[in-house]
Amino acid sequence: MSADPLQALASAGKGESTRGLLRVIILALIAGASIASRLFSVIRFESIIHEFDPWFNFRATKYLVANGFYNFWDWFDDRTWHPLGRVTGGTLYPGLMVTSGAIYHALRALTIPVDIRNICVLLAPAFSGLTAVAAYLLTNEMTPSSSAGLLAALFMGIAPGYISRSVAGSYDNEAIAIFLLVFTFYLWIKALKQGSMLWGALCALFYGYMVASWGGYAFITCLLPLHSFVLICMGRYSTRLYVAYTTWYALGTLASMQIPFVGFLPVKTSEHMPALGIFGFLQLLAFLDYVRSAIPSRQFQTFLWLFAGGTFGIGLLGLVIATSAGVIAPWSGRFYSLWDTGYAKIHIPIIASVSEHQPTAWPAFFFDLNMLIWLFPVGVYLCFQQLADEHVFIVVYALFGSYFAGVMVRLMLTLTPVVCVAAAIAVSTLLDTYLSTKSPKPEESQAVEGAEGKKAKSGLKSTSKPMVGVYSIWGKSMMVSALAVYLLLFVLHCTWVTSNAYSSPSVVLASRLPDGSQHIIDDYREAYQWLRQNTREDAKIMSWWDYGYQIGGMADRPTLVDNNTWNNTHIATVGKAMSSSEEVSYPIMRQHEVDYVLVVFGGLLGYSGDDINKFLWMVRIAEGIWPDEVSERAFFTQRGEYRVDAEATETMKNSLMYKMSYYNYNNLFPPGKAVDRMRGVHLPEVGPTLSTMEEAFTSENWIIRIYKVKDLDNLGRDHMSAAAFDRGQKKKKATKKRGPRLLRVD
Amino acid sequence: MRLLHLLTATLLGAATGALGGTSKKPSEERFQLYHGKAVSSSPVKLSDPSYRELTATPRDYSVAVLLTAMDSRYGCQLCREFQPEWELLARSWTAGDRKGESRVVFGTLDFGDGRDIFMSLGLQTAPVLFFFPPTTGPHATVSPEPIRYDFTGGAQAAEVVHSWVARYLPDRPHPPIKRPINWMRWISTFVILSGGLTFSYVAWPYVLPVIQSRTVWAAITLISILLFTSGHMFNHIRNVPYVAGDGRGGISYFASGFQNQYGLETQIVAALYGILALSSISLAVKVPRMTDPRNQGIAFFAWFGVLFVVYSLLLSIFRGKNPGYYFSLPPFM
Repeated sequence: MSADPLQALASAGKGESTRGLLRVIILALIAGASIASRLFSVIRFESIIHEFDPWFNFRATKYLVANGFYNFWDWFDDRTWHPLGRVTGGTLYPGLMVTSGAIYHALRALTIPVDIRNICVLLAPAFSGLTAVAAYLLTNEMTPSSSAGLLAALFMGIAPGYISRSVAGSYDNEAIAIFLLVFTFYLWIKALKQGSMLWGALCALFYGYMVASWGGYAFITCLLPLHSFVLICMGRYSTRLYVAYTTWYALGTLASMQIPFVGFLPVKTSEHMPALGIFGFLQLLAFLDYVRSAIPSRQFQTFLWLFAGGTFGIGLLGLVIATSAGVIAPWSGRFYSLWDTGYAKIHIPIIASVSEHQPTAWPAFFFDLNMLIWLFPVGVYLCFQQLADEHVFIVVYALFGSYFAGVMVRLMLTLTPVVCVAAAIAVSTLLDTYLSTKSPKPEESQAVEGAEGKKAKSGLKSTSKPMVGVYSIWGKSMMVSALAVYLLLFVLHCTWVTSNAYSSPSVVLASRLPDGSQHIIDDYREAYQWLRQNTREDAKIMSWWDYGYQIGGMADRPTLVDNNTWNNTHIATVGKAMSSSEEVSYPIMRQHEVDYVLVVFGGLLGYSGDDINKFLWMVRIAEGIWPDEVSERAFFTQRGEYRVDAEATETMKNSLMYKMSYYNYNNLFPPGKAVDRMRGVHLPEVGPTLSTMEEAFTSENWIIRIYKVKDLDNLGRDHMSAAAFDRGQKKKKATKKRGPRLLRVD
Repeated sequence: MRLLHLLTATLLGAATGALGGTSKKPSEERFQLYHGKAVSSSPVKLSDPSYRELTATPRDYSVAVLLTAMDSRYGCQLCREFQPEWELLARSWTAGDRKGESRVVFGTLDFGDGRDIFMSLGLQTAPVLFFFPPTTGPHATVSPEPIRYDFTGGAQAAEVVHSWVARYLPDRPHPPIKRPINWMRWISTFVILSGGLTFSYVAWPYVLPVIQSRTVWAAITLISILLFTSGHMFNHIRNVPYVAGDGRGGISYFASGFQNQYGLETQIVAALYGILALSSISLAVKVPRMTDPRNQGIAFFAWFGVLFVVYSLLLSIFRGKNPGYYFSLPPFM
């Protein structure tokens, strides 16, 4: 009797439609899980935009929703990069904002009143659910095993490598771009397998969407040609490849050129040249294919050699001429630093200063991918077994993805999809082998081996023998339970990592009090709110570029520089103002009409991301433009130390940044006891003095300090002497001998 | 006593010589003299008296002098690295400016020839690059004090020093640096290339099966993936040490901290990943293809055990890197 329900269950799982239904339900659950695991920050804090860049995207989205698409397209923003302004509409990737704007209007049309902020906060989790589905589709193209796709969807949904950029509130381009990346790859594989123009056109469509969304589209632009090239080298040129590639390239390039920020780059810059080159190469191959069918083979040989040599020569000559004439721009800096790893450090300090552009140490890989990182090579190896066209894609993607992820931390994001797909193939192969109740009979399997002893020659050596199966039921159950434990551990790891590492909004800091309760440090928002309520609408705020977007988004005040680092000189100007003495900085600030200066100071709280720690980058960037006036060496002591205590160099002590950070700080402590908790040093008893600016606001934990730049002195004195006068220090010259005072009697 | 006497005599002599030199020749004449020397061989090799003469104050020209210690006794690595770059700069500058329109003289003073100068300037280290701006004439600066070049960044390329020098010479021609063609490199590249081509032509029938072998490509791919995912590029970019001492005379194999790693550490991690991948491949591909039940059972338990133990070890290593992490598996709890 007890077998009956089991039997029923087994037969229920057999039917094709039941399986389809189950699959849909499981996928929906996975999508739900991937959304749910990204909501930690919303539950712990509130529905808030995170970090830095998302604040700009949020501001741009609000502008789009308020002013409509065409105004957004032509948006000139005079509240950033003062006094230059920024042609924002032409210098951003509009995909993200347009997506949320479309969702907003659609929901409005359905009479669902929703705040645009909530759409922005929840966009990334929603798209991660779609990414899981896209990973399912892509994996299903790779293997006949039905479980692999579901596993891939699960891995994709909760792998921390992807969660790191897509938690709720992380409203950045990557939020939708990874979905587009995976889905474009799926469409490409589909188009390649079927040689279908329809799928190729769909691929181009989503590629266009990807270009509109994220600068990382160059990854697709390089990977698809590379895949095609490897296929050609393997002698697998086919009309399917021709149709898929040319459709994608022609339509995709046209689509990408519609984005103003991209414009004519696809035919000018070197990043896009491989795609163009393979496009031309495929035309030649198609032509040769046609000629071969038309003329005898002897003549064809001669023709082939002449043709190949001639084309190669002309192509090379054209490339050299075009590059030297400046028609094709050289590699752009950010991309160049991927290949020549020493390049950025020497030539572009602003790139080297961004922590996202640092190389990846091994713990980061394990942290972001856990056991997938060692299942990844297994999956790639299994792809070598059949090595159909789509498996070549996984191999090429795996190689280049892992190289790029090793060079740049943030490109872990582009590696994660292929890791999930490969690992899913590996796990599903293991499960399919060990999770079957059928055990082989030894006699039968020997007979099978005798029959087809030598068959497949081209494959891997290890798979030349036929599959037999596992005999021992014990072994099967052990393997399956071990895999279950590993998968459970993976889920626990992912949840732990997401909860602990990737769910802090960085605008709001959380700390633990000694009794274990959570304490929220909300200095950023406190300060930005102060700016919003206490300053003029057009008061210009100077700060280091990291905080530009937040000031624009939260305080709604014009800034000098922001995270869109398009003008290095302007950033260097701010760096120079921060790193020079007051006498030098004041004219710079007057010229730029600066009203307030904002600095981040972590000395009281021990907050590491403060401006004193970033200060050397300001100095370096300023030195790059004004090597005579700013020198990094002058900020180091004779013994080459970077110090802030009494031993600090005079240049350091006189710099505006130092003064603004430590102004009045020693008054918090008993005399002589002032201590910087971040750098763990005692500060000199007498703090710095400021004469050209005055303290306007300091937040609760002293993280943000805002100073007001003084207007010109009423009496025409310079600020140093005015301040000295106010302190009661008379000038030496002024002490003239006067006669004895007389009482005047009228 | 006698030694002291001798010393004072030489010092006096040098001083009078220098004084005499200054008073004797006017600035223009000195420039012509040294520029003439420079045209024949630049940078001009200086000694005590000629250094004093060249840099004597009133001068309407600029002087760039490298004070160096080339003798192997002093073991100045930086001097030897910088010397060819310096000579290249001086040579190409003088060659591009034969008429002396930029009015600058490049000179080199070796410690062996100018011990006294080093003493009087109180120099403890070499190399030192001084730039003496003119004190009279149209480009005169306020301070006659020389400007010192900062060598903290190591030996710089000639182009960097060129821009440094050019910065102090506004409104004058700055002849560009012309690097000589490295014939040796061209020839060796040509030879290696043609040799490689010949070899590949001859060995083609033997190489072809290797290139077409799927196993070879799989091995290359997997090894590269393991290298990249175990942080090899980080080592390459950051030049991390291979191992480091733990302060008690032993070796510490694992760097402390989440953002740090040693060379050996990444190799250990790559090996662990490799073992884990290999055992998984064996379990997925090899074991179910074994026909003999007994052998299959042995192979299964061996690979299964390896997988279990090594993954546990990997987790424990990761816990060492990240103290807050608390997931573990037996036996390395």
